[in-house]
Amino acid sequence: MKPMLILCLGNDVLTDDAFGFRVAEEIEHDSAIRAHADVEVAALAGFALLDLLVDRRAVLIVDTIITGNAPAGTPHFYPSGYWTPSRCLVSSHQVNLPTALRFGQEMGYSMPECVDVLAVEAQDVWTLCETMTPPVQAAVTKAVLRIDDWVREKRRSVVLHGKRNKESALAG
Amino acid sequence: MRKIVIDPITRLEGHGKIHLFIHDDGSLANCYFQVPELRGFEKFCVGRPVEEMCRITTRICGVCPDAHHMAAAKAADAVFGVTIPSAARKLRELVYNGFYAGDHTTHFYALGGPDFVCGPDAPPAERNILGVIAKVGLDAGKKVIAQRARGQRVIEIIGGKKVHPVTALPGGMSKRITKEEQQEMIKIGDDMVEFAKFTIQVLNDVVLANKAYVDMILSDAYTHKTYNMGLVDANNKINFYDGMVRVTGPDGAEHAKYEPKNYLDYVAEHVEPYSYLKYPFLKKVGWKGFVDGKDSGVYKATPLSRLNVSDGMTTPLAQEEYERFYETLTGDRMGKTPVHSTLATHWARVVELTFACEAVAQQARDEEITSDKIFEPPTGIIGEGVGIVEAPRGTLTHHYKTDAKGIITEANLIVGTTNNNAPISMSIKKAAEGLIKKGAPITDGMLNRIEMAFRAYDPCFGCATHSLPGAMPMEIFIHDAATGEIVDSVRRN
Repeated sequence: MKPMLILCLGNDVLTDDAFGFRVAEEIEHDSAIRAHADVEVAALAGFALLDLLVDRRAVLIVDTIITGNAPAGTPHFYPSGYWTPSRCLVSSHQVNLPTALRFGQEMGYSMPECVDVLAVEAQDVWTLCETMTPPVQAAVTKAVLRIDDWVREKRRSVVLHGKRNKESALAG
Repeated sequence: MRKIVIDPITRLEGHGKIHLFIHDDGSLANCYFQVPELRGFEKFCVGRPVEEMCRITTRICGVCPDAHHMAAAKAADAVFGVTIPSAARKLRELVYNGFYAGDHTTHFYALGGPDFVCGPDAPPAERNILGVIAKVGLDAGKKVIAQRARGQRVIEIIGGKKVHPVTALPGGMSKRITKEEQQEMIKIGDDMVEFAKFTIQVLNDVVLANKAYVDMILSDAYTHKTYNMGLVDANNKINFYDGMVRVTGPDGAEHAKYEPKNYLDYVAEHVEPYSYLKYPFLKKVGWKGFVDGKDSGVYKATPLSRLNVSDGMTTPLAQEEYERFYETLTGDRMGKTPVHSTLATHWARVVELTFACEAVAQQARDEEITSDKIFEPPTGIIGEGVGIVEAPRGTLTHHYKTDAKGIITEANLIVGTTNNNAPISMSIKKAAEGLIKKGAPITDGMLNRIEMAFRAYDPCFGCATHSLPGAMPMEIFIHDAATGEIVDSVRRN
C-alpha cells in the first residue's frame, strides 16, 4: 500500500458523475502518478469510504460537485478541512466523507493528514447515461495534469515526513 | 386544500423534504415526504445482456450494492433457467450474511444509536456517531470499525473486491475460495459473534435499561398496525438470501406466502401526483390511502417486519434474542403476536445482526464452500426471471424479461425502501401531529423526533446525491392548509 491515494468517486452510469471513473482510467497507466500513489475507484457512500482511507498519509478525492457558481467543467480544489461532517444523519447515505474521516481520527486510527478534494463542476449527475457532457469530458485531461502536480507536491512532504520519522527513530 | 405540484427540478435537488399542511386550528391536515431516488434505471437496463445486470445494478445504491448484486444474479439465474451448484449457493449466502453483519452494525451505531445513547433532544452536533463514542468509549468505536472491516473482508474474499462484489453471475460464482481463506473466515465469524454479544449488551445497558426510552419505543406516536413482509425458509425462519415471501396481517395471521416469481399477483403500486416514488401495496387487500389496519393494503418490509413474519431464527443466540424481543414487547416469546412499534426496528436489527454473525461463523465452517464446483453454465433460456433477496432496508425485487438472446426487453425493480414509502409517510405524519403547531416555532428536538420516526427504516436516498459534499440536507416546510403558502421552514445540513 502506497502512502498516497487518488480516490476517484462517482457512478459510471450517471452522466457527469462518471468523471472520477474516467479520470481513474486515464491515470491507470500514468507511471509518474502510479509510481507514488495508488488509485481506487468507488461508487460508495458513508462509512465504506473510511475503509479506503485508513493507513494512508495523503489522499486526493476526485469527484463532481454542483456549486451553481461556475460553468460545467470548471475544476474546484478544496484543501483538507474545507468540508465539515454531516449533522443530519437520517439515512446511511448521509454519513459523508468528513464524518467518516473524523470518526477514524477519533478512533485513533492512522488516518491521512491531508484529504484534498479535486471536484469538477458537473452539469448533470442525475440522468442514467454512460456518456459525460462535453464540458465535463473536456475537463478530464486538465484534472490529470492537476493530479500529477498534486502527487509531486505531496511526494515531497511525504518523503520529508519519512525522513523525519527515520531520524527520530534513530535518535530514540 | 391547494393541490401540491412538485416540479422535476425541485424534485431532483437531492434533498429529503417533508411538507406539512396545517389547519388554522393547528391540526395537521396532511404530510408529504419526498426523497430523491435514482429514476429510470429500468429503462436504462433495456437492451443490455442480462448477465451484465449483476455488475450494473450495484450502481443503484452506494450503501447496499451487495443486495442488488445478489438479486440481479438470482433473477439472471432464473432467466437462464439454471440451478446453481450447492457450493455456489452457500458462498452467496455466506457473503450476503457478511454484508449484513457490517451494514446493520453501521446503522445501529451511527444512525439509530445516537438517538438513544445521546438522547433525542441532544444537539445535532453531539447526536451522531462521534457523540456515541464520546459516551460509550473509544473501545466501542474500535469494535465497530473492526466489525465493519470483518464484513468487508468476507466480501473481498468471496465477492472478489471489498468495494463492489463482482463474483456472482448467472449459473453460480466466478471465484472459488481456498482452505486458507476459509480458515480466515471462520475466525472472522467467531469474532463477529463476540461483537454481536457486545452489541446486545450495549442495547441492554443503553436502551432497555432506560424506562423512558422503552416507553417512547412503545408509544402510540411511533406505532402503525400494518401488514408485514419478508423472506422465510421452509420452516418460516428468517433467510436474507432466499425462500418464499411471507406476508402477515396486523394480527399476525398469514395473509400470503408466495414464490418470488409470483410477486405481481400480490403486490401492486399506487401513484401519487406529487411524487415520482411509487407506493407498493397488497393487491388482494387494496389501496385505501395512508392508513393502517387490516383493511389497508399498506405493508412494511423492515427488520421488524422480517421478525414479525417469521417463526424464529436458525441460529441459537439470535433465537434467544428473538424470544426475548417478543417476550419483552408482547409477552409472547414465540412471536405469534406482532410488534408494531416502529422504533423497535432498532432492536429487531440487533437480532438480525446477531443472526448474520452466527450465520457467517456457521457457514464458513461448511467444507463444501471450498469446492471447485461453483458454476453451472447456462445452456438454455427461459426469457423471464425474478430474483428476490432481503436487503437490509426491505424486500428487494429484480424482475427481468429478455429476448431469446438474453437481451433485456423489460425490467422492474422494487427496492427495499420503496416498499416502505407509505408507512414512512404515515410514521412522519403521526409523529408530527403531536409536535408541530401552526405559529409555534419548530425546535431542533422536534425535528429530530420526527426524523426518528423514519430513521428506523434507514430509508435509501438516491445515490445521485452522493456528489460532494456527500450529505443531504433535511428540510421541513410548514404550509397553511388553506392557502398552501409556506409559513415556516427548517433545514439541517
